[in-house]
Amino acid sequence: MARKDDILKSFLNHGLLETKYELKRDELPTTVREALNSNIPIVKAIALIVEGLDGTSTVTDTVLRNQVTQFLNEAL
Amino acid sequence: MIIREIQIENYLCYYDTNSFELSEGLNIILGENGEGKTKFFEAVDWLFNGENRKLDMLVSAKKLNETEIGESFRVRVSMTVEQYGEKSIITKSFLAKKEKANECSTLSFMIEGISENSSGERTQVDGQRLLDRIFPFQIRKYSMFKGEAELNIFENDSALVNLINLFSKVKHYDKYSEKGVFLREKAEKAVDDSAKLDKKNEKRYKGLEIEILQLEREKEKYKIHLNTTEEEIRKIEENLQEAERHVTNADALETLNKRIKGIEEKISGLNAKIDENYTTSLFDENWILVNFVSFHKEFAKKVSEHSKTRRELQSEFDKQKGVKEGERKAKAELFNNAIPLPNNIPSKAIMEEMLNDEICKVCNREAKKGSEAYEFMSKRLKTYLESQVTEDNEPDKDEPLFKYDYTNRLYNISISHEDNLKNIKLIRTKIKERFEFNDARKKDIEEQNEKLNKEKTERERILGNSSIAEEKLINVLKNYNAWQRDLKNRNQDKMDYTSKLKNLESELKAKKEEKDKIDTSSANSFLINTRNILRDIETIFTDTKEKKFDEFIKKLQSKSNNFFKKINIDAFTGIIVFTRRNKANRTIVEVVLQEDGRTFYKPGQSLLTSMHISILFAISELASEIQEENFPMIFDAPTSSFGENKTAQFLNLIFDTDNQTILLIKDFLYTDKATKTLSIKKEFENVRRDKAFWIRLERPFNPNNLKTINTQVIEL
Repeated sequence: MARKDDILKSFLNHGLLETKYELKRDELPTTVREALNSNIPIVKAIALIVEGLDGTSTVTDTVLRNQVTQFLNEAL
Repeated sequence: MIIREIQIENYLCYYDTNSFELSEGLNIILGENGEGKTKFFEAVDWLFNGENRKLDMLVSAKKLNETEIGESFRVRVSMTVEQYGEKSIITKSFLAKKEKANECSTLSFMIEGISENSSGERTQVDGQRLLDRIFPFQIRKYSMFKGEAELNIFENDSALVNLINLFSKVKHYDKYSEKGVFLREKAEKAVDDSAKLDKKNEKRYKGLEIEILQLEREKEKYKIHLNTTEEEIRKIEENLQEAERHVTNADALETLNKRIKGIEEKISGLNAKIDENYTTSLFDENWILVNFVSFHKEFAKKVSEHSKTRRELQSEFDKQKGVKEGERKAKAELFNNAIPLPNNIPSKAIMEEMLNDEICKVCNREAKKGSEAYEFMSKRLKTYLESQVTEDNEPDKDEPLFKYDYTNRLYNISISHEDNLKNIKLIRTKIKERFEFNDARKKDIEEQNEKLNKEKTERERILGNSSIAEEKLINVLKNYNAWQRDLKNRNQDKMDYTSKLKNLESELKAKKEEKDKIDTSSANSFLINTRNILRDIETIFTDTKEKKFDEFIKKLQSKSNNFFKKINIDAFTGIIVFTRRNKANRTIVEVVLQEDGRTFYKPGQSLLTSMHISILFAISELASEIQEENFPMIFDAPTSSFGENKTAQFLNLIFDTDNQTILLIKDFLYTDKATKTLSIKKEFENVRRDKAFWIRLERPFNPNNLKTINTQVIEL
């Protein structure tokens, strides 16, 4: 398993996703690629950050911020 | 990464070329003190970290001695390494040119690198870069340990965090928590900016922002107070534990010191009472009087006689005085107590005239010469004339017989002499008594000195049992009581700060909720939702990082304790406990030894060394699991405080690990006292190892002449 998938998985294992967002663990994506296509905003937002920081091409803070906030502002 | 071979050429005691063909796993290099162990370690350290300085200090004296002036030879340390199926050779070397006897210049310093791929193709590469690639600097730093003291790399509170970051995946999560904070802050700002556009709540909103900021600052302040207090509490507990080891001794010492002081005071009092001045009174001028008693007696007799005479004279005088008084009284009685006429009536001239005329002109009768009347008048004149003379010569009625009482003074002198003589006669007895008194006091002093010696021996025993000096031991008790008070106070402070922090947090929460309410009514809803999600993401990132860190620490703790128990088999160890804490906004990991949940602050050196080695092995093992890469560890005399049995257990334990380890130890060597022959003990046969070497100086050698020093490498 790629490191980024590993990292994503450890984030998605956080109890908050189950308690606050009512997401079941087995329904959650296991790879960044899958997560980027998720229609759950928090999952996709996390995936965007992981891809930005540990993906093939890392991004600057501004780019990362634009990508994430833009996505969330539109999705919510 | 495996070190296949280390070659040392003309480096200090390593004359000519010496090869160590190492094995994977445990490599043991045995060597007596001063026979080349540390020089091996330093040679490898020079290869890894050494600089191009003072190179002439690294030259083999024997080689230099054998070299002709003007000739040169190479000094070299090289390492052949295998990593991912590739072989690399890293060589650090320089040329030493003999200028004159015992002196050389150095030139051509270089670090060479050769890479050899699996098909045997060799490429010349930059030596330093090659070294840093195959054996990164940060890992080298934690791979080489010289002596026991260096093992304690964890004293620096960030060392373990660095190590964990280096060897674990935790470091990958650092950037996430940073970015989580960054994204949340930006989202918060976007919401704030949007909320501020609503003028209705502008004033309250700004007020809340200021209040929140102040509360945050206050919170940070109390956090620092709390951290510092906790730090102080730990320090005090450590001090108390250290003091507890000495407190019984300190208590006994204090009692003994008081007793010793008491005895010393008694001795000093007794000494003050002793007056050894026996002779002054003998030399005193009075003493001489002892030989003049007869003179004194004569003097006393004379004074006594004189006094008697005086008293007799006085008595006679008093008697006479009494008689005169009696006469006066009798005369008065003669005239029937009638007061007679004064003697001067009639006057002298009339009396003479009447006698001359032979007529008593008082009674106007004839008084012929020889008649009774004439006789009466003549007697009367005579009485008058006599009375005139007597009155002039008669002494004053109150005048004493002796105007000055010299006799009494003489008498007193005599008595005083008598007393002096009596005292002088007593000098002999007094001196005798003084001797007896002094002897008795001296005996008392002797007894007290005996007591004092006993107390002092007891004190020495206590001090001998104590590992700290007397002065410190005396302070222990004082400090112990002071620290206990401090601990009580600090614990109270801790409670106060914790409660203050709790109050601040709830106040802060209330303010934030109020601000959020204004946000909800004033800011764009999508911005609020974005912020809320980013708040959660920040929480997820921070928690995950901490979780990963804690997981690693937990694993590290478990592995460390496994090694620890194995090294100290059947002995007391306690438990190694790792604790993650925040200190002034940075994470630190503390490692302590605990016994029944209580920190064991000052374990013995052997226990401490085994604890440090256990942690290092645990880190190395975890690194291997995570990075799928092993790095060698080189220890020079890491187990000096271990006994041979414990060293054997330790070696067997290392043998069971997967790591390549190079251990330089002086154990298992035996010197025959008679023949001075050095040999390896049989017990070494039972030590499991992959490879063993014995480095020893070529015999004979002169310990005072470096030119005769040559370390030989014997593969066992």
